[in-house]
This record gives sequence, structure tokens and C-alpha cells, in this order.
Amino acid sequence: MKILIRRFDEKSYWQSFEVPVKRGMTVLDALFYIRENIDPTFAFRASCRMGICGSCAVKINGKPRLACETQISKFKEIKVEPLDNFRVIRDLVTEFEGFFVKHKKVKPYLIAEADYENPVEQLQTPQELKRYYIFSLCIKCGACVSVCPASATLEGYLGPAALVAAYRFNADSRDKGKEERLKIASESIGVWRCHSAMECSEVCPKQIEPAKAVQLLRRASLR
Amino acid sequence: MGVLSWFKYRSPFGMAFMFQRITGLILLFYLCLHLAYLTSLQSRDLYESLTALTVSKQFFIFDSLLILCGVFHGLNGLRIVVHELGFAHEKRKAVLVISVALTILGWILGSYILYTALGD
Amino acid sequence: MRGFEPFAWIFQAVTGIVMVFLITAHFLATHANHELLSYETAVSRLGSFEYKVFYFFLLLFVTFHAFNGLRAIILDTEGGMRRRKAVNALILVIALVAFFYGAFLLSKF
Repeated sequence: MKILIRRFDEKSYWQSFEVPVKRGMTVLDALFYIRENIDPTFAFRASCRMGICGSCAVKINGKPRLACETQISKFKEIKVEPLDNFRVIRDLVTEFEGFFVKHKKVKPYLIAEADYENPVEQLQTPQELKRYYIFSLCIKCGACVSVCPASATLEGYLGPAALVAAYRFNADSRDKGKEERLKIASESIGVWRCHSAMECSEVCPKQIEPAKAVQLLRRASLR
Repeated sequence: MGVLSWFKYRSPFGMAFMFQRITGLILLFYLCLHLAYLTSLQSRDLYESLTALTVSKQFFIFDSLLILCGVFHGLNGLRIVVHELGFAHEKRKAVLVISVALTILGWILGSYILYTALGD
Repeated sequence: MRGFEPFAWIFQAVTGIVMVFLITAHFLATHANHELLSYETAVSRLGSFEYKVFYFFLLLFVTFHAFNGLRAIILDTEGGMRRRKAVNALILVIALVAFFYGAFLLSKF
């Protein structure tokens, strides 16, 4: 099968590769084949090969997907490009530093009183867990940010991924940092820049619905 | 890329977002035109000549498209309000389909009313 | 509530919802039949107290919704966000001009 890839090395160009296809082969398998057998300079990110690390998110036929979870047999032809809204470093590898800076900004960790001398177990009911569990499944792949119209035009916008992280902790019954996070999330470059394009929810490989998290955070910002 | 990226969506939700923006800007422009039109009410002659020009079979297509813009913007806006309150995210595809179906219905109805009012 | 944004969001939604009905009513009141747009009917409509109240609220809601929407679009851009205070001030001035002009037109009847 012919695989068309948008490469980048100082400038952007398309290159076509002929890849032998076996049943059950993923797009990531094809990318590895190209690097191992055709062009060793071909750059892309990958790690776990099983949809949990978030490294291999790329744009496949116009839609961001995890390369390791996309079957080649699903398509008649395949076009692979780096994710939008990220600066391309080389080929399919994009700059992710900004993504993590925004993530850190919302304090994505449990803020709770901890007495390490006399530790107390922090109990949580299944109902309390259900409130935020799905949002804890984010693998930081960046697919949501790549399709967000606000992220496309505003460098400083926190973005769906960071806002999901903010909500995940705010909705956690063990957390005491709600006010701090809401202050950050409700700035002008926070939740107010979301206009419910819902594209993030459409492309999330973990079906997290980031749009929902942003709206719940928006509601909380009113109080 | 910048703002042009807002108008490159090909998926249903992205396109709904795109058209919400476009129709919003069209309606804002129309608001300004409408304020100008209402200014003409100061003079009977001016008002009647403007009305004769714009409320006519030749202008019908523009009015009909304006109705489409307004109906889409309003109904899609209602859809957005539902989602921004945190509801129905799981059923978002169905909500979008209903919103678009109602838009087409509203457009046909509005255009029909406009057309029959012209006929006399 | 922190700042103008939460207020703007709520009112964008409220004015939007109310206007779905107000604009439909306005459309029917002006286009249900050919006579409704004649000069005499238009003037008498604008002169009546009930319509004046109706049009005042329609004007208020439309002006807020339209210019706040424009503000949101501009603030979504890099340049707009950098000059946030100036954008907010400029949009407010233009919106007030539009509103007062519309109210002035209404007062003539």
C-alpha cells in the first residue's frame, strides 16, 4: 500500500512510501517499517504500541488518531501528517513543551493536607470516584488540542487537555485545591475561550469528552 | 494559518462551529444595514422606495438566505447552550442532527411566509 | 464571580434564547402579510406603547449579543487577546453608539 507522509526538515514536503501490508497491521507498524527498511531518517514518536502512552498521535487522513490503534485495512489510501497547532520539529515529531507547561499551570496534582507522621487513609466512595474517573484516563496525546479552534489561534489558551486535568482534580472529593484551580481556569484565556466546537470530544482516543469537562469547569467558575 | 483554520473544518461539529461564526458575522452586518433601513422611516418617500427595492421578488433570494442564517444561528445557538450547561454530551450527534433538521424546516417555513407576503 | 467574562457568557446565552422568540415574533409581525410593511402600518406599530417596549428590549438584546459575540471572536485571536482592554473598550463604545442610535430612532415615533 502507498502511504503518503508530510515530512518536514526545514521545509515541508510530501513523500510517498510503498509498504507491504499484513492483516491486522496498524499505521504505526507501517511507520516502523518505513524507518527500518526504507528511510532511517524518518522521525516519529512512539512508545507503548498499545494506546496508553499517547506518544503516537498523528493526523491520519485529516483526523487525529493514535497510529498504534489505527488499522491500515480501515482505509483505501493513507495520508499521515503531524498534529495541527503544534510546532513541527521534524517529520511527524512536534513540540510538546508548551502542552506540558499549560498542564502544569492548572496544578494537576492532589492538593490535600497530608500528615506524614500520622497518615490517614483518604476514603472515597464509588459514586465520588465516578464523578471524575473518566477524566483521569487522559493520556496527554494532544489530539484534542490539535482540533480545538481556540488553541489554533490563541497561543496562551489553556486548551482542552489542561482543562480536563483541572476538572479531574476539582471533582476529586479528596482534593482541597478547587479555588486555586478555578482561579486559573476562569481567566480570560481559560474556559471563556471555549465555544463548544466539540471537536475535542470527537477525536479523543479515550472518549473522555473534554468539551464536557470544560463546561462543568465553566459552571463551577460562576460561583 | 491563524483564523483561517476556523474555516477549514470538514467534520459535522467543526462545520457547525464554523457556520455559527459566519452567520453571526453576517447577522451583525445585517444589524447595521437594518439600522440604516430604519433611519429611512424619517421620510415616507425614502422608506417606500427602499422597501420597494428590498421587499421584492428580485431580493427574495437574499432574504431567504438571511432567514437561513438567522434560523441556523438561533437553533445551533440553543444546541450550544444545552451543551455549555453540561447536558447531553453523550448524545451530541443526535442533538446536532435534530438542530440541523429543525433549521431546514424553519428555513422552508420562513421563506414560504416571506414569499406569500410578496405575492399580493 | 470573577470579572466580566462569566457575566458576558450568561447574558450571551440568555439574550440568545430570548431572541429566538423575539426575532420570530418580529419576523411574523412584519412579514405575515404584505400590508405590514406599508409606511402607515410601520409608523403606527412604532408609535404603539407595547411595540415600543418590545422593540426596546429587542434592540437591547440584539446589541449586546451581536457585539459581545464579535468581542469573543476578536479575543480568540492573538492580537485581540494582547490588546484585551482596548478591544473591550472599543466594542463597548460601538455597542453603545448602536444602541443609543436605535433608541433615538425609536423615540422619534
